[in-house]
Amino acid sequence: MIAAGMQEPAFGRSGFLAIAVLLVVWEILGRLQLSIFVPAATTVAEAWWRLAAAGTLTSAGASSLVSLAKGFALAAVLGIALGLAMGRFRTVRYLLDGWINAFMSAPLSALVPVLIALFGIRDTVVAATVFLFSLFVIIVNTMTGVRGTERSLVDMARSFGASEAALFARIYLPSALPAVMLGLRLGAVQAVKGMVVGEMLISLVGMGERLIYYGNTFLIPELYAVIVSVLLVAIVASTLVQMCERALVRWK
Amino acid sequence: MARLMAAPVGIAMQAVSKNFGAVQALVGIDIEVKAGEFLSLIGPSGCGKTTLLKCIAGLLPVDAGRIVIGSRSVSGPGGREASLVFQDFALLPWATARENAEFGLRLRGVPAAERAEAARRALAKVGLAGSFEQAYPAQLSGGMQQRVGLARALAVNPQVLLMDEPFASIDEQTRRILQDDLLRMWSEERKTVVLVTHSMEEAIYLSDRVVVLSPRPGKVHRVLDVPLPRPREARDVRASGEFARLVDELWQILKRMQ
Repeated sequence: MIAAGMQEPAFGRSGFLAIAVLLVVWEILGRLQLSIFVPAATTVAEAWWRLAAAGTLTSAGASSLVSLAKGFALAAVLGIALGLAMGRFRTVRYLLDGWINAFMSAPLSALVPVLIALFGIRDTVVAATVFLFSLFVIIVNTMTGVRGTERSLVDMARSFGASEAALFARIYLPSALPAVMLGLRLGAVQAVKGMVVGEMLISLVGMGERLIYYGNTFLIPELYAVIVSVLLVAIVASTLVQMCERALVRWK
Repeated sequence: MARLMAAPVGIAMQAVSKNFGAVQALVGIDIEVKAGEFLSLIGPSGCGKTTLLKCIAGLLPVDAGRIVIGSRSVSGPGGREASLVFQDFALLPWATARENAEFGLRLRGVPAAERAEAARRALAKVGLAGSFEQAYPAQLSGGMQQRVGLARALAVNPQVLLMDEPFASIDEQTRRILQDDLLRMWSEERKTVVLVTHSMEEAIYLSDRVVVLSPRPGKVHRVLDVPLPRPREARDVRASGEFARLVDELWQILKRMQ
């Protein structure tokens, strides 16, 4: 018998080891003073602390996180709905498949100027960029999950007289759930990318604006401090989704 | 109502034909399954035996002829007379053994308390009482998973069991035990059983009659009576000369068909 709930931890021992090694190497390279573009890890940590204490990180971070949450929530709702419809109904799939593929491979940053024209130079553009970056991977994974439903499960439910609604709620949806959660996890990472790209392009709000500012003014430790913060946001976002996944998908 | 053991009903297949596009899968199938009979369908792969079973279950519409279970002409899935048992067990991986056993009743809108009781009884009947009720399918062996599949089929108290190679993916020792358990249950409950199998030993050991289908298009080739005494699970029927003779007769029929 297999013990239930035996899974690798979200961020295991190997993850911490990898980060420890990276930090040590980084520190050594920094101390060698090769270039001002390679500050030591401790120097970056100091800068991070300074920015955090001054409230710069919190205010930039808060603006970023609000856009991230708005854009990602909308992408999750719409992405799952569209993915379910595409997975279940061939007509919807034929209608949208080409578009989805085009957007999956297109460099979405090219659309940001269009978003700026639409919404003005505001944080709405950032939320819209987050939405666009994360939407398609959620759609595709949800659709794949629905289409991967075991034929015999559908036959079994139909043989007991399941209605179309019951099939959807009791067979297709739970079957697709692991794939949906994977889509959300990948989508969350994409969303953080979208957040930074959007903010850098409008150069007005959030952590992206700080990246541009510190880059242009050669405040390199501060620049790294913001990059580290963005990475932390990505890790936290993906871990949060993974925790939801564990709570929802217990049978694997 | 669900507690009453329903009297078994027969199945009549009359000139049943089924096509998949231009491919004829079944042509002019006439089979009469008597009430309470154990009948097996056997034949080379591609003979349409699983297709025929799905037609009986209403999962596939027939293109010509008709299938009558009891007094009802099959027109779609969901009929109350018959339950299916699947080769791959078709268990919900996200549901426990008991939730799986309850699933048919849940789809039919049976109240929670009543279906929990029926599921527990069905699981006990297949030898899965107690702690196994809370196990997920991934935690159970293949044999135990199929017991859950059987419990789910029995929980709705059907008059007919339609079994699609139910023991094909189960190891030999477990398969023999399951076959004996199935015979025991069948003799207690007197349900009509249609079993699709590719095992000659299984067909002879379990059935009253074996229908041999020929491939492309699927037709009834021969019907073999199995006059072995019952209850077979209580005797050493597998070791008898008569058993060996019948398996060989079935083999000769299948061999000459190739």
